[in-house]
Amino acid sequence: MRSSENGIESSKEISQSEENVINFLDSMDTYLILVDSLSSALRQGWFELASARQSMGASRVNSSLFDLKSHHASTTFQVDEHEDIELPHFTLCKWASSDDPEKYSEEAKFEEDELLRNKSDSPRPQQRGATSHCSEYQERSAEIGGSPVKVDNQAEKERFKSLSMFGALVSPKLRATQSSFEKALEIVVEISNVRSSLLRSYDQVHEELKNTK
Amino acid sequence: MYGFEAMTFNIHGGYLEAIVRGHRSGLLTAADYNNLCQCETLDDIKMHLSATEYGPYLQNEPSPLYTTTIVEKCTLKLVDEYNHMLTQATEPLSTFLEYIRYGHMIDNVVLIVTGTLHERDVQELLEKCHPLGMFDSIASLAVAQNMRELYRLVLVDTPLAPYFSECISSEDLDDMNIEIMRNTLYKAYLEDFYRFCQKLGGATAEIMSDLLAFEADRRAVNITINSIGTELTRDDRRKLYSNFGLLYPYGHEELAVCEDIDQVRGAMEKYPPYQSIFSKLTYGESQILDKAFYEEEVKRLCLAFEQQFHYAVFFAYMRLREQEIRNLMWISECVAQNQKSRVHDSVVFIF
Repeated sequence: MRSSENGIESSKEISQSEENVINFLDSMDTYLILVDSLSSALRQGWFELASARQSMGASRVNSSLFDLKSHHASTTFQVDEHEDIELPHFTLCKWASSDDPEKYSEEAKFEEDELLRNKSDSPRPQQRGATSHCSEYQERSAEIGGSPVKVDNQAEKERFKSLSMFGALVSPKLRATQSSFEKALEIVVEISNVRSSLLRSYDQVHEELKNTK
Repeated sequence: MYGFEAMTFNIHGGYLEAIVRGHRSGLLTAADYNNLCQCETLDDIKMHLSATEYGPYLQNEPSPLYTTTIVEKCTLKLVDEYNHMLTQATEPLSTFLEYIRYGHMIDNVVLIVTGTLHERDVQELLEKCHPLGMFDSIASLAVAQNMRELYRLVLVDTPLAPYFSECISSEDLDDMNIEIMRNTLYKAYLEDFYRFCQKLGGATAEIMSDLLAFEADRRAVNITINSIGTELTRDDRRKLYSNFGLLYPYGHEELAVCEDIDQVRGAMEKYPPYQSIFSKLTYGESQILDKAFYEEEVKRLCLAFEQQFHYAVFFAYMRLREQEIRNLMWISECVAQNQKSRVHDSVVFIF
């Protein structure tokens, strides 16, 4: 009886350690895929920027037009380290209103907390390109609240505002550049989250290896 | 009197027409572009260009080379050629050559004003200005707070002064006002240049009318496409279109109300010269529109050289050189970013 109990426990331990190894390999695979995606997104962004400069002229697209006036950041990066969540979670809050950034980012953060609690109960998605950023949460919360158009309009307005340093009438190529770099930023945040999970899995596997020795 | 330019043109313009035709033969050929497109690094590009007329301008540039350096040195060559022609020219050719600079002056004014609005250093902005558009008091632009001051303090003594009558206001300068100012100035400049060429008459008027009308139509299309989804109203958009060209006035009425690229296509396809340009685009696409317009422009500019005894050859040569510099910039960027497979996306062959 005791030997069968010991047998069941050891098989449970083996399956747990296998699960940890699988989690580690899974995280590694996701991490490598995301790094590759980031490289592609940045490459595409730089190419489109060159294309926009070709279209609009070098005097309209150059670094001397960057706005050095102090202004609120429309996109912010947040690190959540709750006690009930083991891993730090990184979130991107995109295109907050530059007129009232605190109000908008607080609303986004509140909705994000709610969705984070829901997410921690469900398995982490392993799809390529899964991102965690405020604009998605805002859209979901807006859908629950009933005004998705308002959120999209706000994001579009902020996008237009950030591009206006190159002029009010810019080529579609410059807007495509903005989208590419925006996508790259999302991937960077996703890489941070996956890397955090990867490091935890690595620690678990390393711990088990030490114990078995 | 049209047709009798052969009797008197060479007295004052013969030497410079010969000079500009000589410069034209120095433009890069398809074989040169094929060699450049196969370069692996910017130093390879420099090596290939050393065998062309750009050689003396690039030979002393140290490694590592940058795309902006190549463009800057090639532009210097263009500026030297232009200044040589300007100093040798007599009226009315000298005024005609001055008109070619005004577009660059407008771009420089807008660059300085925009950069100042963004609290950039004036010296940094002056380095980015196009050399053909420089004038003495350009640094003083940084002082102006609105368009009235811009005019009163600086631009009243420049050739751009007459173009300001439609945009003088006391409104503070912001991004939208600056954009409207840019396009209003350019509209006034194009119309003034057009009237000047009409006054010259003869082959100059005939050929330049076609070239300037194409420029006005292209600007109308670009303004329309770039203003889709922005705060620019339909009335403001219509005010930025020039009052001449193939699209004036009915095409402008249609373009003013366009809300997407397909509606722009619908408006433009009614005009046979532009039907061939828009037929190259797939539905919803505008990426290759720039290249299609550049190709059409190059075709028209090359045709200007088929006739003698007119000033349009000078305008055509300057534009062809600018296109060549754009080609070199694009090739350099593709080589620097290791995107050689995309190099033919934007290169426009001249010969």
